[in-house]
Amino acid sequence: MGLLSREAWAQRLGAFRASPSAYMAAPEGEDLGRDLLSDLRSEKLSEQTKVSMLALSLEYPAQLWPDAPAAEAAATSLLDTLVLLPPRPSALRRPLLLAATTALVTGGVLGPTSGASLRLLPLLLGLASGGDLGRGFGPSSEQRPLQATACECLRELESCKPGLLGGCLGLLRGLLGQEGPVAPVQPLSLLLALALRNTLVIQARARASLQGLLTVRAPPPGGGPWNWTLAQEGDAHLQPQAPSWPAAEEECGLSALEPSPEEARELRAAVAQLLDTSYLLTPVAQAQLLWLLGWALRGLRGQPPVLFKPQLVRLLGTAQLALLHAVLALKAAFGEALFTAQDEALLLRRLTLAAQHPALPLPAHLFYLHCLLSFPENCPLGPAGEEAAPLLLEPQLCRGLLPNLLHDPLALLARLHLLCLLCAEDEQKEEKGQAQSPCHYLQELLAGLQQRAALTGGPRALATLCFQASYLVALCLAGHRTVLAPLTHGLAQLYRARPALAPHFVDLLDRVAPELGEPLRVVLRQEVVSRPGGGEALRWHLQMLAKVADRDAQSATLGFLQAAAAHCTDWGLQQALLRVCRALLRVGVGGGLADLLQALARQLEDPDGRDHARLYYVLLSHLSGPKLGVALGPSLAAPALTSSLVAENQGFATALMVQEAPAPIRLSVGPQRAEGPVPVLQLQVEVLEPVYSLELRFRVEGQLYAPLGAVHVPCLCPGRPARPLLLPLQPQRPAPAQLDIRALYTKSTGLTCYTHLPPLPVKFADLFLPFPKPPEGARLGFFEELWDSCLPKGTESRLWCPLGPQGLEALVSRHLEPFVVVARPPTSYHIAIRLPPDSKLLLRLEAAQADGVPVVLRTDAWAVLPLVGDYLRGLSAAV
Amino acid sequence: MAQRAVWLISHEPGTPLGGTVRFSRRYPTVEKRAKVFNGTSYVPIPEDGPFLKSLLFELRLLDEDRDFMESRDSCSRINKTSVYGLKVGGEELWPVVAFLKNGIVYACVPLVEQTLSPRPALISISAISQGFELLFGIQDFLYSSQKIDTELNTKLSQLPDLLLQACPFGTLLDANLQNSLDSISFASVTHPQKQPAWKAGTYKGKPQVSIAITEKVKSMQYDKQDIADTWQVVGTVTCKVPVPPILGFYQMKEEEVQLKITVNLKLHESVKNNFKFCEAHIPFYNRGPITHVEYKVSFGQLEVFREKSLLIWIIGQKFPKSMEISLSGTVTFGAKSHEKQPFDHICIGGTAYLKLHFRILDYTLTGCYADQHSVQVFASGKPKISTHRKLISSDYYIWNSKAPAPVTYGSLLLWTHCDAFDFV
Repeated sequence: MGLLSREAWAQRLGAFRASPSAYMAAPEGEDLGRDLLSDLRSEKLSEQTKVSMLALSLEYPAQLWPDAPAAEAAATSLLDTLVLLPPRPSALRRPLLLAATTALVTGGVLGPTSGASLRLLPLLLGLASGGDLGRGFGPSSEQRPLQATACECLRELESCKPGLLGGCLGLLRGLLGQEGPVAPVQPLSLLLALALRNTLVIQARARASLQGLLTVRAPPPGGGPWNWTLAQEGDAHLQPQAPSWPAAEEECGLSALEPSPEEARELRAAVAQLLDTSYLLTPVAQAQLLWLLGWALRGLRGQPPVLFKPQLVRLLGTAQLALLHAVLALKAAFGEALFTAQDEALLLRRLTLAAQHPALPLPAHLFYLHCLLSFPENCPLGPAGEEAAPLLLEPQLCRGLLPNLLHDPLALLARLHLLCLLCAEDEQKEEKGQAQSPCHYLQELLAGLQQRAALTGGPRALATLCFQASYLVALCLAGHRTVLAPLTHGLAQLYRARPALAPHFVDLLDRVAPELGEPLRVVLRQEVVSRPGGGEALRWHLQMLAKVADRDAQSATLGFLQAAAAHCTDWGLQQALLRVCRALLRVGVGGGLADLLQALARQLEDPDGRDHARLYYVLLSHLSGPKLGVALGPSLAAPALTSSLVAENQGFATALMVQEAPAPIRLSVGPQRAEGPVPVLQLQVEVLEPVYSLELRFRVEGQLYAPLGAVHVPCLCPGRPARPLLLPLQPQRPAPAQLDIRALYTKSTGLTCYTHLPPLPVKFADLFLPFPKPPEGARLGFFEELWDSCLPKGTESRLWCPLGPQGLEALVSRHLEPFVVVARPPTSYHIAIRLPPDSKLLLRLEAAQADGVPVVLRTDAWAVLPLVGDYLRGLSAAV
Repeated sequence: MAQRAVWLISHEPGTPLGGTVRFSRRYPTVEKRAKVFNGTSYVPIPEDGPFLKSLLFELRLLDEDRDFMESRDSCSRINKTSVYGLKVGGEELWPVVAFLKNGIVYACVPLVEQTLSPRPALISISAISQGFELLFGIQDFLYSSQKIDTELNTKLSQLPDLLLQACPFGTLLDANLQNSLDSISFASVTHPQKQPAWKAGTYKGKPQVSIAITEKVKSMQYDKQDIADTWQVVGTVTCKVPVPPILGFYQMKEEEVQLKITVNLKLHESVKNNFKFCEAHIPFYNRGPITHVEYKVSFGQLEVFREKSLLIWIIGQKFPKSMEISLSGTVTFGAKSHEKQPFDHICIGGTAYLKLHFRILDYTLTGCYADQHSVQVFASGKPKISTHRKLISSDYYIWNSKAPAPVTYGSLLLWTHCDAFDFV
């Protein structure tokens, strides 16, 4: 873009300021940074326009030159522009220095590899030293302002890169100590104080000494290279300050620094030098100096804070906000070491008076009041960090700080807090019960606030204030019946006078502790239900009742609702009415409510309302109390004013419908039972969380077994051993199967869940049942009879059953014991197995050898032969 | 100790945005430090538009007051200082120092040199008081002379240059912006002058020392047995005379459609009976316009402002010899219309007051004065020395004794029991 006129620039700057992000996103934003730099050298633009352009670069460098190379180039260009200025007075030199400094810092390029940094730093130091920089630096009249500006720039660079000026401490001390009006005291003092503080912190962290930094008067500006050593150590340390408040010597870590006696003396001299001339500084600058020196010396060995003492005589009487604040910072840092009990009392008295002085503005009053309640006491009693009335603050002194209705809301709340603290103390001392007591005063004030909030048509801010005050009182004086009882009463009266404040009451009830909340709930309920039930305020009463209704005073509540139902002519009121019913359902109100809901289901005009009432009635009559509580619980989509049955049903759906969930249940098959008329599977069950009303449903593919019954367990808890569950099987054919298992259960939150568990196998052997055992002598005959009966319909087969190392005896006792009819251990066994529904399997194991036993088997069910083979071959592996 | 940004916003009730940003200034080098110091709790400074909206909402300066809004009206949102947290883009910008004065919202964001979570106490943040000083300084500069709109605009247009002087990098150098204004014109001065060490520029103008003693007297009079009347003189020295300059009572009773009022005022004999002016304002709140007045005054004259529902009893320069004057009468009101007649949230029903406005020149209640011949100035040149004193009424209320009145606690005790706060 070519050269722009003054007007064009004014327009461009205005458009940018209106919304920097929008401007930079648009195409015209692209060239702004470049155009600005080039037009600064234009001879056609006035200095005023250029100052405006520079002002923009001071505020938005990151937008104009977003990356490090651009920032470096910008700083270089700004420095070039500065050097090229003709040697006459110019308003540009100062902003150019500020802009170059800003660009370097925000671009993150300040450092030994940045050419612009290496140009700017010696230039600033030279200007700050008052040296003659020759051509380009204007007439002598400009030297002094530029000297101050250079100091400010150096201070900003040191702030952002601590340690940068660590090598210049001696030089700065020298400049400050020069006789005559040569150097501007304020900029140099602040610069020296900051550099000193940063150097102490960096050296303490590095556990290094001061290395004569305070006395070396080198380097000559423009001479040798810049000393980056400390800044590079410090670079890693631009990090959150240790909390400056309250003083904790360990935290700031300066105790690690052990200056030599000579260094300590120099340090004292430097601090004394700064303090001695501090009265020449503006009050805000003095405050900055005191904070810096307080930080610098806190916790430093061999540096008694007594150096500050001569200043305190002057400072304790200050009426400057920032300065008084700095004195409090010193008090927090040094405590008793610097401030006597008399000083403390004096400070408290000054704060008390400053907090109400008519010549001071309200924000200052409030800040002083905050300082008073956070006052850094020499001997604090209460817990740190909590606002409290200082010990030395006499109640007499606080009288002028008590709140009254004429105060601004902020002031009223701040003073009310103090009053509450006084009441708490007063009650501890003795119950006086006099008209003069703070508690009595507090009650009058609250009554006044309530009266004001009750004013119909008054601004909402007044009502809010009344409720904020009530909340604050309940918070500070939770255990004080004498205060809370009249407060409760007063709030009830307020509700009576202005029911439209119901939302405020609901909010208050949501937030206060039960000390106020419970009695307030009771009186508000009484307040509502003792009314006839109609009128303009009905919607507020219903809103209120939805919050405060509970199992107490059911009949009065229901009576009110019955009366109110006749007046609920529009949809909104009906919904409000039903919300109260819902609240009653939740807390478990039964009998009368069912009648009311039935009546509403018939009587309400709006179909949505009728449906709602019917739904609630159905819920009430079908669900148990706890379940109802969950279904209507507050976690579900709470019905807003615009709720409809559909929306609410979505809420119920989550609560009442069965939801699919990952299984917290693990099932496994336990040991075989092999007894009784049918095979019974023993199931072991484990749960990961409490599970109630568990129902397990089983199914088998095809028609292998008759349909299986469900198993019910009332309650299962993790870690508590559960009895095995017994699942009787009714096979249609003697065959193994897969059990498909589904679980339905209720969680402790009341939600009913459904889950599909991993399938369980029913093995062939799980179906085995023994024959009834004949008497001892008849067994062989019994077996032979069975054996013969298998043929000719059945079949006979011979198998080789491999044996493991334990041999035949162990194998039989482990797997086949219940079915043995005739045993001749260790080599021969006759085994008879019943296979439901009506088959049998007979085995002769005879003449066992070391590695196996020949098996002769007969069965009347052909189909099981392969199963038997697999079973027998698997036995040895299963041992 | 630095500020991250500063704003001046004019509050314009009834407009769509509720206000306009008249001036804003950001300090990117301070912002850079904030990012490091605040760490994960860092919240960037928003652009002017979102800041304006969020600030006006937080200060309750938007017109949407009708419905209860939890984010604004909840009882647990208690602010006891002029320092706020602003919701901006889902995060909370804190601390924001802000206050409204003369239709302008002054705001700044002080740098906190540590993490913001948990929030440090305000007293531990050095930049908070610096922020207050900056805003008070700007306010003093804007209203240092008569408040005229065009002049305000001129001054606002000077602010960027002034802050470039007084607060170039966000760290305040001088809260007195007038000093900076003087030093901006340095270029025209050619020879060096002796000047204050902290001032980069030179001072133009005649050396002059002016000492003014102004005492403000406040009073609350109830004319009741169980409530103690209070009064307060603030100025520079101890209060010794335990009486208000004007004592009185005010009785107001509602009789059917009209109010019956009686006022009695008595000047204390020790007080100089020579006023610049003296008036008693008798407002009637939450009522309709005055339709009819019948009255009798023993002294002075009564002006009736019918639409404003206000009576002003002009007492003038002197009380009569008896030092005692009275007013009695009846006032009738028309129908209430909310737009015109004054609304007040304290004066409900019979609760009512009359407020005295007076000024006495060359007089202080305490007898305090400055002797201009005894003032020594240690400086080169001979400044002209002048001294002034005056007594001004300030919140001087006499409450209707026939109805309840808001009670302020006995400040009388405070002011007699401790010496005064010498405010320099």
